[in-house]
Amino acid sequence: MIDAASLEKVLPDYLSRQRWYGGTEVPSTVRVRGIDEPVEGLTWVLVDVDSGDGTDTYQVVVGHRPATEPPGFVQGHEEGVLGTVDGLLLYDAILDPGLALSLLGVVVPGEKAEVVRPMGAEQSNSSLVYDNRLVLKLFRRLVPGGNPDVEVVTALVANGFENVPRPVGVWERGDYDLAICQEFLAEAAEGWSLALTSLRDFYAADCDDPAECGGDFAPEAERLGDVTAHMHVALAQAFGRHPSDPEAWAESLSRHLAKLDPNDVDQAAAARFVERLRAVVDPGQSIRVHGDYHLGQVLRTAAGWYVLDFEGEPTRPLEERTRPTSPLKDVAGMVRSFHYASRVAVAEQAEGQRQAIAPKAEKWELRNREAFLQGYVAAAAGTGLLPADEASRDTVLATFELDKAVYEVLYERQYRPDWLDIPLSALRRLLAE
Amino acid sequence: MSGLVTPDDLRWYQRAVFYEVLTRGFYDSNNDGTGDLPGLTEKLDYIEWLGVDCIWLLPFYKSPLRDGGYDISDFFSVLPEYGDLADVVRLVEEAHRRGLRIIADLVMNHTSDQHPWFQESRQDRTNPKADWYVWNDDDHRWSEARVIFVDTEKSNWTWDQQRQQYYWHRFFSHQPDLNYDNPEVQLAMFDVVKFWLDIGLDGFRLDAVPYLYERDGTNGENLPETHEYLRRLRKEVDASFPGKVLLAEANQWPADVVDYFGDGDECHMCFHFPLMPRMFMAIRREQRMPITEILAQTPEIPDGCQWGIFLRNHDELTLEMVSDEERDYMYTEYAKDPRMRRNIGIGRRLAPLVENDRRVAELLHALLFSMPGSPVLYYGDEIGMGDNIYLGDRDGVRTPMQWSPDRNAGFSKADFAQLYLPPLMDPVYGYQAVNVEAEVRDKSSNLHWMKRMLEVRRQHPLFGTGSMEIIPVENPSVLTYVREEGDDVVLCVNNLSRFAQPAELPLQRFAGRTPLELLGRVPFPRIGELPYFVTLGPYSFYWFQLAETPS
Repeated sequence: MIDAASLEKVLPDYLSRQRWYGGTEVPSTVRVRGIDEPVEGLTWVLVDVDSGDGTDTYQVVVGHRPATEPPGFVQGHEEGVLGTVDGLLLYDAILDPGLALSLLGVVVPGEKAEVVRPMGAEQSNSSLVYDNRLVLKLFRRLVPGGNPDVEVVTALVANGFENVPRPVGVWERGDYDLAICQEFLAEAAEGWSLALTSLRDFYAADCDDPAECGGDFAPEAERLGDVTAHMHVALAQAFGRHPSDPEAWAESLSRHLAKLDPNDVDQAAAARFVERLRAVVDPGQSIRVHGDYHLGQVLRTAAGWYVLDFEGEPTRPLEERTRPTSPLKDVAGMVRSFHYASRVAVAEQAEGQRQAIAPKAEKWELRNREAFLQGYVAAAAGTGLLPADEASRDTVLATFELDKAVYEVLYERQYRPDWLDIPLSALRRLLAE
Repeated sequence: MSGLVTPDDLRWYQRAVFYEVLTRGFYDSNNDGTGDLPGLTEKLDYIEWLGVDCIWLLPFYKSPLRDGGYDISDFFSVLPEYGDLADVVRLVEEAHRRGLRIIADLVMNHTSDQHPWFQESRQDRTNPKADWYVWNDDDHRWSEARVIFVDTEKSNWTWDQQRQQYYWHRFFSHQPDLNYDNPEVQLAMFDVVKFWLDIGLDGFRLDAVPYLYERDGTNGENLPETHEYLRRLRKEVDASFPGKVLLAEANQWPADVVDYFGDGDECHMCFHFPLMPRMFMAIRREQRMPITEILAQTPEIPDGCQWGIFLRNHDELTLEMVSDEERDYMYTEYAKDPRMRRNIGIGRRLAPLVENDRRVAELLHALLFSMPGSPVLYYGDEIGMGDNIYLGDRDGVRTPMQWSPDRNAGFSKADFAQLYLPPLMDPVYGYQAVNVEAEVRDKSSNLHWMKRMLEVRRQHPLFGTGSMEIIPVENPSVLTYVREEGDDVVLCVNNLSRFAQPAELPLQRFAGRTPLELLGRVPFPRIGELPYFVTLGPYSFYWFQLAETPS
């Protein structure tokens, strides 16, 4: 086991290089709060970092080899090397197949595998796939009181919702969930890739109606709507139903709309919309939701659509992520995702082609949006979750679409100005209705 | 002589490739306009050259031919237009001499109403064969049993004037069902089976097996009594004729079809029906889900059993014949897609079905040859033959085999007007353009490609009996799996899309091995610890043997 003092020297630099690190600069000090060796050769570290407004806690796992014999698996993964201490090369233990294999037995006692591989770039966690059969997700940024993903997945399964990868083990320690191991769905494909497959087919096809095109996605979108509704019913069952407060939504939306540039939207139309939202008498119920629902969070498996990653938007505070809200927030997230997919596939095309394809993008988006909503409403109707009348339902859905689109506009303006037109066009469309 | 399927191999059917032949349409030896058994015998060299293992003959028994020969009027004799018993004997001998096997269609459930058994049975209620068929005074019994040919039949009962009773028929009214509750019928059908096995047939494709028995309060399908009879039949066959195969046609959901394998003590093989439309659907959708979904719903089968898999056969693909669940799925997926609506439910040959896109036809065959099961080819598909939808019913895919650009496609020297069906003459699929003679000469033809694929498949028994593991790939247009048996490992990578596609394959388990592309025998870069990267052209596929790297 490597000692804490040595680690504290190399950790600040190492952390700043990780995708899952929340800060933007090299932290000035870090504190090793916990240290252990759960399996031989693997140093497990709990490290506190001062962020501007508090303390963030990270989980780091470290392997070591003599610095004179650097192992082959670190090649090409230099960001995973912590540095050299006392003649030992320290590196992220998940790169080391031997240690990664032993880690499985820590998370799921008695479980063994022959082959392990890292899953690739992820925002806030590190995942390992064992024998194409199990996936172990190591949480990096820890929150006291349990990880929402663990909490929700376990609760969903307990409440009869089977469209999540079945959990087979959780690694807990003190107040923290450190890792979850779930079944790995080998034949599965991500919703985002499937949508793009359908879009590329449609854009290249000699036909203007997505329904008449071989790669039509609408039956999948409809089934996804159905699964989403069942997920919400199970979430309501697990975490309770609460009254909704359109006044609070209206305030929050106004606050967000105010962050836009004045010319982004028609201010009068925006004000009219907020009034329309305030006037909603039947807003439906509020429940625990997925919170970061989009095509990248759903997998099409041989047994239908599966839902992943219930952590919510990782940049938001935990309290906000777990707060009950309308299930239509998730629905809005998904229909925004259809919009993005249709436009991303346009951007893939040669520049001279894009204008001609634009009307197809809209047709695809509308068709799949409708199919998704149809599948969703058919299964959610009668559950009491949604506003009973269609006009209120549309208003609440539009509220969350607007809210999401505002967030997207702010993000794109700062980081990807080329994409700004996608959420802006959505904002304008929503307010024109 | 085949290296893979040897005469003393009792489980040859697990690794065999079948070739379905319509005797009427293959080759006419006596120039009467109709193909015949001596004609087929003459063409055995071609079938051997192609590299298949077993011929499947559509019914060649005596028949009034009101249902393509599935209405048998004498189980012990040959339809005179096709030849006689001596011709069957010679065909079987010549086939066996070449290492080819032959199975034939056999209808167990019913006979033609012209069969002497039925003629006797209908005389009165007391004759010796009075109980060989299913008679009743009214037509209300077993109303739970669905009418299969709803277009032509109103009821499963038909009134017989002569006997003044109704008789039971699950198919056409001219095809009365045999009464399997009668022990004499059970034994008579054993005799039929033994008669043909004695002559040397290597087995049967059993037509319409789910319907042998009738029971009150049931739909009359898949009854325990039917399975019991099949077990007895299997025992009889195994006892006297080891190595013969029974292939069941039970057009049901895989989870129900597996019952016809029993515990490995009923049929050796069953057709896997839903896989075929799913393969077409996956290519239309450009993604693998339709295939992986049906594979996930396909149960394990007992030791010694095998699926029969196919792309096309002599029947149309009727959605009515798969389960309601699957039909609903197909309709949801395709009801709005005019191209699929046109093609599903209508008999088309493979080439027109894929709009004559050779890349798609090759990809479909690559899938067929590498999926778990024994592939069944339909005569003519190896040269990319077309169809004639204007011939109606199922005749559109039963036109004469196109042997050469000569008169009548080289199929017959009869007058054109005498031919049982006109050969194809259109500019794209007609015999002037598509024929065996031309394709034998052209090394880059469909035919040579098929022959090469069959050669490669033959070198790897794992395609028949190996395990199958899906390899996870992020790109949904790429379907990848590993077939494995003992030390032999073959990796199959398929691009279901019309666009070129990349794929990163997690092959860490095979790190250190060197992929050898099996069609060209070109070694690819060694597999390392990182994901293995391949690029695939539109509708392309690779079969890689994962061989130990030579030191």
